[in-house]
Amino acid sequence: MTEKKLDTLVASPFQGRRQFGSRAALFAGFGTLLILMAIISIDSLYTLEAFETHNTQIRQDLLYREHTLEQVRTSVYESGDIMSDYTVIESDLHTRERLRTEFQSIHSETTALLKACIQSLPTDKRDSFQHLGEELERYWSRADPIFALRATEKKGLGHSALRSDVLSQYAEVLAITKEISAVNDDELKEADRRISETFAQFRRRLLMLAVIGFSFGLILATTTIVYAGRLEKRVEDKYEESLQAQRELKQLSKRLVEAEERERRAISRELHDEVGQCLSALLIDVDNLTEMSSEEGAFRQGLQKIKTLAENCVNEVRNMALLLRPSMLDDLGLVAALDWQAREVSKRTSMLVDTVDENVSENLPEEYKTCVYRIVQEALNNCSKHAYAKNVRVVVRQEPNYLRVSIEDDGKGFDASRVRGLGLVGMNERVSQLGGVLKVESDPARGTRLRVDLPLPNPSDDSGELSS
Amino acid sequence: MKKLRILLADDHIVMRSGLRALLDRQPNLEVVGESENGRETVALAASLKPDVVVMDVGMPILNGIEATQTIVTQCPTIAVVILSMHADESYVMRALKAGARGYLLKDSAAADLIGAIQAISQGKSFFSPKVSRILAEDYVRVLKQKGAVDTYDLLTSREREILQLLAEGKSNKEVATALNISPYTVETHRSHILQKLNLHNSAELVLYAVRKGIIS
Repeated sequence: MTEKKLDTLVASPFQGRRQFGSRAALFAGFGTLLILMAIISIDSLYTLEAFETHNTQIRQDLLYREHTLEQVRTSVYESGDIMSDYTVIESDLHTRERLRTEFQSIHSETTALLKACIQSLPTDKRDSFQHLGEELERYWSRADPIFALRATEKKGLGHSALRSDVLSQYAEVLAITKEISAVNDDELKEADRRISETFAQFRRRLLMLAVIGFSFGLILATTTIVYAGRLEKRVEDKYEESLQAQRELKQLSKRLVEAEERERRAISRELHDEVGQCLSALLIDVDNLTEMSSEEGAFRQGLQKIKTLAENCVNEVRNMALLLRPSMLDDLGLVAALDWQAREVSKRTSMLVDTVDENVSENLPEEYKTCVYRIVQEALNNCSKHAYAKNVRVVVRQEPNYLRVSIEDDGKGFDASRVRGLGLVGMNERVSQLGGVLKVESDPARGTRLRVDLPLPNPSDDSGELSS
Repeated sequence: MKKLRILLADDHIVMRSGLRALLDRQPNLEVVGESENGRETVALAASLKPDVVVMDVGMPILNGIEATQTIVTQCPTIAVVILSMHADESYVMRALKAGARGYLLKDSAAADLIGAIQAISQGKSFFSPKVSRILAEDYVRVLKQKGAVDTYDLLTSREREILQLLAEGKSNKEVATALNISPYTVETHRSHILQKLNLHNSAELVLYAVRKGIIS
């Protein structure tokens, strides 16, 4: 156990560093996950927007082209009508002039429109429109001779020939516009196809990013759980260790108290039984000698001196032995020992100690006797040393399953919530070893009341042979 | 005159031999046995039927006080004198409760033992002068500290007379004979005395008498 403790002590700084490292790794991991998610979102938004713009552009372009073609067609129809009108109307110079002007304006407008459309087109798509332009140009040029005809000529031969010529060109132009429309339609379909393709691509990319993000998150979560689990385990271990240490400390202090008591008793007994008895025997022998000797004077005086010396020694030894551990505690039980203590304290100090015992068994277990005796001893010590009490009342009461001791004095008291001397700590230690509770109630100027409740081990064995 | 038969109980050989040397010099005393623990003492007392047992307190197996109780219960005619290192009243009290008639301190055994044996064999009580002195001093001191009234003053002169006789170890009948009154009257007086002095039994009564210096 000691070795293990030493181990953990030595290992702790490294453990601290490792902990710091893994924390940094976790931070980095979570950071990366957040950045990844941000990238995915921004990328998706951006792609969607670009896609939308692109789509709109394509549709607008196609619409524009379709519109232009429509315009061209309309122009061709209108110009055809104008030409017909022109050939039909015979007189009225003014009307003819108007028709020609109208035709001219349609011609120039359409040419400009088509030109603008061609300009807006990318070079690779210009061919069909240019072809349309050329055909249209040819159409216009076919129309020119019609307007050059005189009124008289119109009804002539050339009229129908010209007319069929223009009409064929007219059909040609319309055919081209239809062609281009078809191409446009194809292009629209193509665009649609590309759109769905792009969508699919986008979906794939999104899926891939999601998979990457999810995997990363999963790894991170697993790592975190493992890390947290390890931390928890370590904390648990530490807690268990500290509990163990606490238990051991308690055990140690218990053994210390026991050892102290055992030593005291051993020394006390040794002094009392061996030294004391020998001295007593010596006294008797000296008396015997004195009786037997017929001599007077110096010899008797010498014996008397020895006797006095031995008597002093006996007293000294007895007092020492009692101070270490009163033999009453073992010979006569707790109550007798407490009574003796009370008398001794009353004799030594100005305090009057009164003991009351209620129903206290003579056969209390050894550790209970010692515990109560030492607590009362310490308490009386405090009363005379610190409290300057005049009267102390010690009450010991035995109930079926517990032993209650209370020590009350009329001294100056103290603030029990703040002061906790070493004496009280020691008492508490003794009491808690037997699973008991110690309470101190004290107020300055109201005296102190110390109460101890000790649970008794076996209620039914109350009067039995517990002291063996 | 018939010799007094004595049983010597002490777990210390040195002590026993010292006491034996002391007793052997007395012509009217005879040590009939020695024992070194409580149980042996009880057994020897039962078989030897001595007049007096000189009993050490601290003995192995069964201590002197418990041994005294057993012996006195089994054979009330045997007088027990306790030899102790302690002049404290808890020991004296316990010895009296156990039925001992005398209480001696070991360090004054040489001076007091012979007198004690003779007194208790005649049915009287005997206490080492030092014990009496200490008990009396304690009593006076406590009275003083408590500022209490000495309960002895509450007793009538008749009661005081009876208290002394009872404390000396006399039975109700003996007291009645000595004072020429009926044993019932003695019993009545006795219970009054116990009540006035707040005592509960004969042992406490004897202890009280010793404290007051009425007997020694």
